[in-house]
Parts: sequence; C-alpha cells; structure tokens
Amino acid sequence: MSPLGVPGRRPDLLRRMPWGLLATTLAIAGISVLNLASASRVAHAPVWISQLAWLGVGLGVALVSLSVDYRRLHSVAWPTYGLVMILLVAVHFHGQTVMGAQRWLVLGPIRLQPSELAKLAVVVVLARFYHEEGEKPGGYGLSDLWRPALIIAIPFLLILQQPDLGTASMVAAIGGTMVLASRIRWRALLLVAGSGAIAAVGAWFFVLHDYQKKRLLTFMNPEADMLGSGYHANQSMIAVGSGQWAGKGWAQGTQTQLSFLPEQHTDFVFSVFAEEWGFRGALLLLGLFLLLCLLGLRIAIQARERHGAFLAVGAVAFLFWHVFVNIGMVSGLLPVVGVTLPLMSYGGSSAITVLISIGILANVATRSGRFS
Amino acid sequence: MKLSIRAREERELKGRLGWLGVAVSLGILLLAGRVWYLQIRKGEDYFARSSGNFVKELRVPADRGMIVDRKGRILVDNRPSYDVYLTPAFCQDCDEVIGRLAGQLGLEDEDLIRVVTANEKARGLERFRPVLVQQDLTRDALDVVEARKDLLPGVDVIGAPHRNYRAGEMGAHLLGYLGEISPDEFEKAREEGGGYRPGDYLGKRGIERRFESRLRGIDGLERVVADAKGRKLPELEAMIPQEQRYVPSQPGANVILTIDARLQAAAEEAFDQTAGTAVVMDVNTGYLLAVVSKPGIDPNRLTGRISRAELREIMEDPLEPMLFRATQNHYHPGSVFKVVSQLAALEHGFTHDVFCGGGYTLGRRRWRCHKESGHGHMSPEDAMKVSCDTWFYAAADKLGIDVMAEMSERMGLGKVTGLDLGYEVPGVVPSVAYHDKVTPGGYQKGLALNAVIGQGDSNVTPLQMAMVYATIANGGTVYRPQLVLRVERADGTVVEDFLPEVKNRLGVKPENLAIIRRGLEKTMNEPGGTGYRRRLKEPRMAGKTGTAQVVRIGNVRLRKEQMDYFNRDHAWFAVYAPAEEPEIAVVVLNEHGGHGGSDAQPIAMRIMERYFELMKEDRAAPAHGVDREIAPAAPPASIDAPSGGPELPFLDRAARAAG
Repeated sequence: MSPLGVPGRRPDLLRRMPWGLLATTLAIAGISVLNLASASRVAHAPVWISQLAWLGVGLGVALVSLSVDYRRLHSVAWPTYGLVMILLVAVHFHGQTVMGAQRWLVLGPIRLQPSELAKLAVVVVLARFYHEEGEKPGGYGLSDLWRPALIIAIPFLLILQQPDLGTASMVAAIGGTMVLASRIRWRALLLVAGSGAIAAVGAWFFVLHDYQKKRLLTFMNPEADMLGSGYHANQSMIAVGSGQWAGKGWAQGTQTQLSFLPEQHTDFVFSVFAEEWGFRGALLLLGLFLLLCLLGLRIAIQARERHGAFLAVGAVAFLFWHVFVNIGMVSGLLPVVGVTLPLMSYGGSSAITVLISIGILANVATRSGRFS
Repeated sequence: MKLSIRAREERELKGRLGWLGVAVSLGILLLAGRVWYLQIRKGEDYFARSSGNFVKELRVPADRGMIVDRKGRILVDNRPSYDVYLTPAFCQDCDEVIGRLAGQLGLEDEDLIRVVTANEKARGLERFRPVLVQQDLTRDALDVVEARKDLLPGVDVIGAPHRNYRAGEMGAHLLGYLGEISPDEFEKAREEGGGYRPGDYLGKRGIERRFESRLRGIDGLERVVADAKGRKLPELEAMIPQEQRYVPSQPGANVILTIDARLQAAAEEAFDQTAGTAVVMDVNTGYLLAVVSKPGIDPNRLTGRISRAELREIMEDPLEPMLFRATQNHYHPGSVFKVVSQLAALEHGFTHDVFCGGGYTLGRRRWRCHKESGHGHMSPEDAMKVSCDTWFYAAADKLGIDVMAEMSERMGLGKVTGLDLGYEVPGVVPSVAYHDKVTPGGYQKGLALNAVIGQGDSNVTPLQMAMVYATIANGGTVYRPQLVLRVERADGTVVEDFLPEVKNRLGVKPENLAIIRRGLEKTMNEPGGTGYRRRLKEPRMAGKTGTAQVVRIGNVRLRKEQMDYFNRDHAWFAVYAPAEEPEIAVVVLNEHGGHGGSDAQPIAMRIMERYFELMKEDRAAPAHGVDREIAPAAPPASIDAPSGGPELPFLDRAARAAG
C-alpha cells in the first residue's frame, strides 16, 4: 500500500509513549498558563483561560493523532503541500489585512493563518523527499539541491510578499535545518551560504518594505528611536533585565502590569516571564525548551527509518527556531520580527501547530525501535 | 554489502543529528547568556530604568513671590485661575469637542488653529499629552465648561495660579510683566541650571525680570506611579518609597519696593498728559518713591491671554507704551540743564553779571535769548530765575564745552544710573572729544553755546535729571537711584537689603551750590521767576522749568497748537522741596507737551502737594508711617482683585500664608 510497507500491528501506545516529552510539554504549558494569567491582568481579558482551552484542544489532537501511523503522512505529503500553497495564494487575494499585512484567511468561523501551516507542510514534504532520495554517497552536490530549495522557496516567497518576514525566515530556517541534516558537500554549502548573502543584500534593496527595513535598522541601534520602532525592543529589554536574579514576583512586574511592555500575551510573553520570575525562572524555561529539543533529536536518532528521522528533525527545527528567534528578539539579540514562543505565546494557530509538531515527535517515538 | 552501507548511512545520520543536538544546545546557551547579560550583568541598570518608566515626576510649582510697596501694600501677587486642556486620546470625536469648546470659550482663530493642528499631529502616546486650549478662563467661561463637562470628553480644567497686578496700569513699567520663556532664554537658563521648562513663564521686564531668580522660588516635586499611557495609578503609590513621594516647593521671595503706592497712585493721576514721565526721588537716599511713565500698559493683559493682534497693536503704537520713559529714552533737557552748566561756570570762576540784550553774538552768528527784548543785567541767580539764555551763552563762550561735560559727568550724566531695570540708555554728554568724533568739521565753540542751555547734542534721561536735582538738594551727594528696599523670604527673613548707595560726591564749593539753590528758589518764589505763577505756596520749593526744542524751526517760534505732535517741544519741570531742608525731588517730562511752566509744572505741583499731605497723614498715624517696617496689623489680602483704585491691601502674615 505504501512504499514503507504495511504498518505492523498497532504498537503498544502506552508502553512506547515518550513520557519525558509529554511531561516537558505539560510543564511548559503549565508555566504558560500561569504566566498568561499574570499578563491577563493588564488586558482585562482572561486570555489564560482561552490559552488553556487551545492547549487542551491541541494536546487532544496530538494524542488522538498518535493512533494514526505517521507513515501515512508519506502519501498525503504532496497533497498537503499543494493545498497549503493554494491557501497562501488565496490569502493574497482574499486575505484579511491586519496591521498592513495580509496574513489571515477567514473561512466562515475559522480564521486561518496559512503561513503557519506552511511551516509544517515544508517539514512533511522534505521528510518524504529525503526518505525517497536516501543517502547520497559523498553527499549532495549543488545540482541535487535545487528540488529541496524549490520546496522551501515557493512558500518562502509567497509569505515574504504578504509581507511577513518573520514567518518567511522561519520557513527557510526549518527547511534549511532539514537540508543540513542530510549529507551535503562542503562546497555546495559554501555556495549556498554565499548566494544567500547576495540574496539578502538584494532583498534589502528590492524586496523589503520600509517598515521592515526600519525594524532591522532599529535593531542595530534600538536607543536611537526610543519612542518609535525601537520602543518595543527597548521596553522588552528593560522588562527582561529588570527581572534580575529573583524576578519581581508573579503579577508584580511593573513593565508588564503598567503596560510598558507591548504585545505581552503574544510575541513578548517571555519578557513578562523573565521580568516576574527573574534569571532563575528564565533558566528553568530555557532548560525545558532545550530538553524538549534534545528529546526530539533522540527520537529522530531512534526513528524507525529516514522518514521518521527527518520528520522529527523538522519538528525539532520548528520548535528550536521559534524559541531561538523569539527569545533572541525580546532580549535584543535579533530584530523584532513577530515570531511566537512555542506554547508560551497566546494564540490558537500557534498552540495547535506547535502541539501538532510535538504530536509528530510522539508519533515517531511510539513507532521507533528499528534503529535502536 | 547493502546492509553495511545502510548501517554506515545510519551511523552518519546519527552523527549529524548529534551535531544538531550540539548546535541546539549552543543556541539555547547563547540565549541563556544573553538573558544572563541583561538580568545579572546589567540587571541593576535595567531595574533602575524600569522604575524610571513608571515613576512620573510631576512638578509642584512654587508660588512666585509678591511685589509690595515700601509699606507692605501688595502690588503684585498671584490669584487662582483656571486653564483648559484637551487630551486628544480621551475625546472620542476631537474635532466636534474642539468646535463646541471654541464656541463656549469664544476662542480666537489663532488658538483654534493651534489646538486643531496639535490634535491632528498627535500620534500614539503623544495623544495622551494634554494640549493647552486656553489660559486663565473667565469666570463665565469656567462656569459654562464645568456645567457642560459631560459634553466635553477629554477636556480638563486645571487650576494654576496666575500673576495678579492688583493696580492694573499703575507702575506697570516698574513692575514689568511675565511671558512665556523664549528659546533663547531657555537655552541661557539651561546653561545656568535654572530649571526652566519650555512653556514656563518668567519675568520679561521690570522688577519681574530683574528679580526673577528671587521671585521664582524653587519648584517641588511629586512622584506618582503612572502607566505607559501616562495615567496616574494612585492605588500603586506604595511602589515609591514614602519619603520620595513629595518634595514641597519653596515659595519665591517677596520684593519690597521703595515706591509708596499712595504717592504712585497720586502721581499716575496727576500725570494727565498723553506721554511722558514723572520721577519722585528721596533726595537723601536715592530711593524712588514714585515713577510714572505714560502711556501705560496693563501687565495683566501682557502676562495673560493676549492675542498676537493685540500685541502687535501695542508694539506698533507710535506712542510706544512699552517704553519706560524714565530710563529707556533720552531727551534734550533744555533749561532744566542750566543747574549743571551754571555750577560748572561758577566753579570755574564765571560768577559775574552778564548783560542780556536779547541774544549773544559769536563770530557771525547770533544766539537768541528766549526773551527777544533782553533781560538787562543778569546776576547768576537772576539768570537762573528768569532762565536767561544769554548769561549761559557768555559762560559757554568763555569756558568751552568740556567744563560743562566734566560737571555733567560728576553728576552722573552720560552713564546709566544703575537703576538696573534693563534697557537703560546713558544719554549724551557732548564734549570736545565727542564732537571731534561725531560732528562733521569737529568741535566748534557754537556747539558749546547749544549744549549750555541743554540743547545741541545734550541728552539726558528723566531719571538722570532727578538724580541731578536730588544732588543739588542734598548738598552734593550723588546717590544711585534705587527701586528696591529689600528682598525677604516668605517667613520675613531678609535675603537682600539695599542700603542707600553713594555714587559720587560733587566736591563743589558750598557757596557755589548755594548760588544755584538760591536761583532755583527765586525761580519759584519771586515774581518774574519762570516757576512763580504755578507755584505751591506751602512748603517753599526750589525748581526750574525747561522747554526743550525737538526740531529747529529757524527764527520764528510757533505755538504748540501750530505744530505736529511729534514736532512739539518737550515740557520739563524739576523741583525739590522743602527748599531749606529738602526731602524729595520731582522731575516731570511732558513729552511734546509744550512749555515747562504751563505743561509740566502743574503735574509736579500736584505730586508735591500729595506728598506733603501724605507726610502729614503718616505723622498722625505713625503705625503706617515708618519706612522699612511692615505693618503689624492689616486686613487680610482678599483673593479677588480689588475693584480698582489705589487702596491696596497690606502684606501681612495672613497674606503670606495665602500667597
């Protein structure tokens, strides 16, 4: 039925369940709800309850999906990818414009952000691609890279023109990580890196919108524009830094509670946490995220075949890059580009896509064993 | 074989995944390092900045000090007033609210446009910053705005003390007025660490300006907790330590003038002419008791709401109401200058009689005396009494111009007096060196003949003339004219005390000074004297008329009605009294007023009359009669300005507490 062979008898789900992954996920989710409850006090809206609901739904979807073997993704990979690309094109024509960018697609009661789905679609397709290609002796050369490059480039460009630089680069980073997990010749790698740099320069002059350039410039020197576009980055750094070792205490963060911190439920949720829980809290959270990623990589290593391994790598890349870019941006290490922090940031799209990728990890884990 | 390849592939994939694990760990470590840098390394800095974020420092403005007269009567204080502000973020339909407000307040276009543009321009957080709509609401406007508050969202009425010049125009040029700090002044104040902010008011002229640093006081500070939008959060005040929440302001010091408000009022009333000035000086101290400058201005208008159109009207008025004529303009002194030239002549031995045949011939030109038929034989005293020009021409011919210039300088002419009220002009004392420099052809004897009768290039300020007559009256001591007795803190402690200050002593022979004084006495007390007709009988006075030509009109003398206003002569009168034991000197300049005797002397006489009346009153009620002492018991200052008139409340404990 599938090139992978007929799935064997239903695995013993409970026995093979990656309990560590689940516990880590639940721990982060718990912190998320607690933290949002503090941030909610300002918004006068109990977003933490909604978040609890979204996390519950996401977790439910992930657990239920465990009963379906991930190898079925092999057959639906291309259709999924195709559908998401269509949605991305559709959002261009029928999308809802929020803050100057067309990102949302409204389908009846559901507001959908196809660019979020694109990240997963790229993971699924690349996993299938690398499963089919197998390992090239001596590694992939430049001529072998055009197909994965195309798979990444189509959604990348579609999202970039929404415009949504943050999500577009997330797609590129996740796809790129998966490409790196395959074997690549050094020369090809250097060439790609070089042309990437040229592309970046080209993008600066021809592709990026003024507000995006301004953000990047502000990032270089946030103090120069304290009340304009540097405001977010500055207030966020003040929030993080003022937490010091012990934090100001739950619901005691002045930056958070007095509204100095922008977007505190979504993109800047880490600043809320760091302000109120201090460095020890931040270390705990970073530790949990690291644990999540390392557990995911172990699942990749233990995967039954390349398909599972690349799916797991994609899921880990998804989680890692979100964590890295989000915390990097709220701590002033990266420009402010609107990337959410997995599980911590409030929002349905984010919660569900993150939990789906964790569900994929769990799925690969429960069906592992061939490699080990 | 195939299996071994597979095994190698798998090993290599695992190896790469292992490296990914290392990369991920390094990435997270980098984040942890960054967070460590922010929270631990720079934590204290950022903590301080986060505190700075929510602590909003509100200024507690200090009460500006009062300006009171020598007896403690309040001339300038502060009254409660209300300003209207609009906060764009809080009015839903700002344009409509502004329109409604404009109708109720009767806003002028200028203000309306300013508010509308401020509203349109405000973006983001700026919209939370209140915009001043109108200052100092009228009582009616205040009632209307308060009553319709529900229709005016985002509109706030905020109480702010406003400067109150209780007597309106009276003494306006002395007191000065306040105005918004200019960019230049702001820059200067910042260099000096003055603590001004844009939009602050400061003294622009007069005492308000000269004593700005004393009057101003020190602003206090209130620290409140505010959120990112600037809204106060009183429930969170515990976040600021108690002792840091409030720093009280320190009120400014009070300035006590040498002016006697009653005499000032009388002098203002006595000066019933279009333009000019009257200076009343205590001859034994140099303190000024009253100084009038007309036309006047109401400092209340200048300090408060004044439209640009009104301001332009004042600035473009040909009579220059802003000009403080006692010091900021100079005039030919005419015959009032003769005391200086005669004293110079006497000191240089020119003490003899001169025959006046109606003029004096020097070379090919003839200098006319004002009496064409001539005065006959003139002694120095008689020459003064009838203001015979010929005697002076003869003296000038004999002695030259430098002798007079030297005496002028001893009297303090040609230099600013040191009243220190700003924009003072020094006047001109012509000398050989002066004419060699500025006159084509250089100095010639004829120039001395013009200068000797206070014409030519001779120019003085009325205050300088008052100084000259005070010097003659007190026997030869030149005092610096002063306007301020002392500066006191609100609690009554003295900050600065201004004692009489001797600028110079004439060092002339007493018999020569006596000749001058006798001449001045005869002028007013013997028939035929130029000041005899309009004299006051009690007490005996000594004075001199002056009629200064503004333009030279050839040989024909026109009457003043026949001339354009600005071509008419200036009328002077200078007098001191009592003649034997002088107390005060009064100098009146009636600008383009005509003849000294008819157009300036009556004003001076009314002032003198009032002065001696007041002296009598004060002697009868000594409680108010002692200078340099504040009345111990007086009615408390009311908050409302008096309905007008010179009756001013006294500075006392109650007023201090209220002020």
